[in-house]
Amino acid sequence: MSKHRVSRRQFLTYTLTGVGGFMAAGMLMPMVRFAIDPVLTAEAGGDFIATPLKIKDITNEPQRVDFTFEQKDAWYTSDVTNTAWVYKDEQDNIVALSPVCKHLGCTVAWGTDKAHPDEFFCPCHFGRYTKDGTNVKGTPPIAPLDVYPIQEKDGLLYLGKAEPKTKEA
Amino acid sequence: MKWVSKDIETYSTAKEYVDTAVIPIYSVSFGNEMKQSASNAEFITLLTTYLERQFTGRLLLVPPFTYLKSDNQEDILQQLKKWEENIETSEFKHIFYITTEIDWKNFEKELTGSLIWLPSLPLEHLNDSQKISMVESQVKQLLSLFTQKWHENL
Ligand code: FES
Repeated sequence: MSKHRVSRRQFLTYTLTGVGGFMAAGMLMPMVRFAIDPVLTAEAGGDFIATPLKIKDITNEPQRVDFTFEQKDAWYTSDVTNTAWVYKDEQDNIVALSPVCKHLGCTVAWGTDKAHPDEFFCPCHFGRYTKDGTNVKGTPPIAPLDVYPIQEKDGLLYLGKAEPKTKEA
Repeated sequence: MKWVSKDIETYSTAKEYVDTAVIPIYSVSFGNEMKQSASNAEFITLLTTYLERQFTGRLLLVPPFTYLKSDNQEDILQQLKKWEENIETSEFKHIFYITTEIDWKNFEKELTGSLIWLPSLPLEHLNDSQKISMVESQVKQLLSLFTQKWHENL
């Protein structure tokens, strides 16, 4: 009798450990994948995306350009439209700035604040940036606007993934 | 900000800046009205998503308030009022409801928040970029409505 019980308990213990281990592995696997995944997908971020803007149409005045690409969000793929503010600076270099406010992420626009027509303006908490994207002291944003790396192909402007602006004085 | 854990986390560290809650409202009906119902929902979803993108840092997009169209209107209103109470106690100064259902116009006065009614635009035959520009032109008008409200109670 008693021998039986022990063996049954043992049997249960074994099976439960087995099942538990199985479940743990089941949980662990995706977690490991999550941990590794960003590294694996990082490469794809280097792609440049075509915008409808012709290089020769870029002026000294920042203009808004929208470009669309496919984005994978978990298993869900969708078309995402991003915006850039594009102009030529005094040295004739093309500058493409991200419209995402560095305070809390609202969308900024060029010249929408009547008091400061030559700046980027964020309507949410009145954040301001000068033309080169530098945040104006005393307004909420704490960093300059992100910058898109640019490329030219067939006369069109191509944009990469926006990056934080490299440190400036 | 959206109703996802990452955004809510940011929200809790920046509460003083996020003073506006936006609640999409749409009804659900089955049978003959199913398609119209879906189309309304689609429009409101797209519109509020776009709105959220413009004003990420100042507004929280709450999950939509949905109800059966066949339900008793008074009950539905009471339900929404409960939402309103909860949202108000959690420090939102402004509440906006966005809907395509004209019926809500009758209850506007009973709500503390501002009710924004828009006619639903049929999106089914549009491609993505047409959808975007259509929604965008609608949102443009909303944007000024929002900034106006913010200025009023500064
Ligand atoms: S989000 Fe732009 S100033 Fe706050």
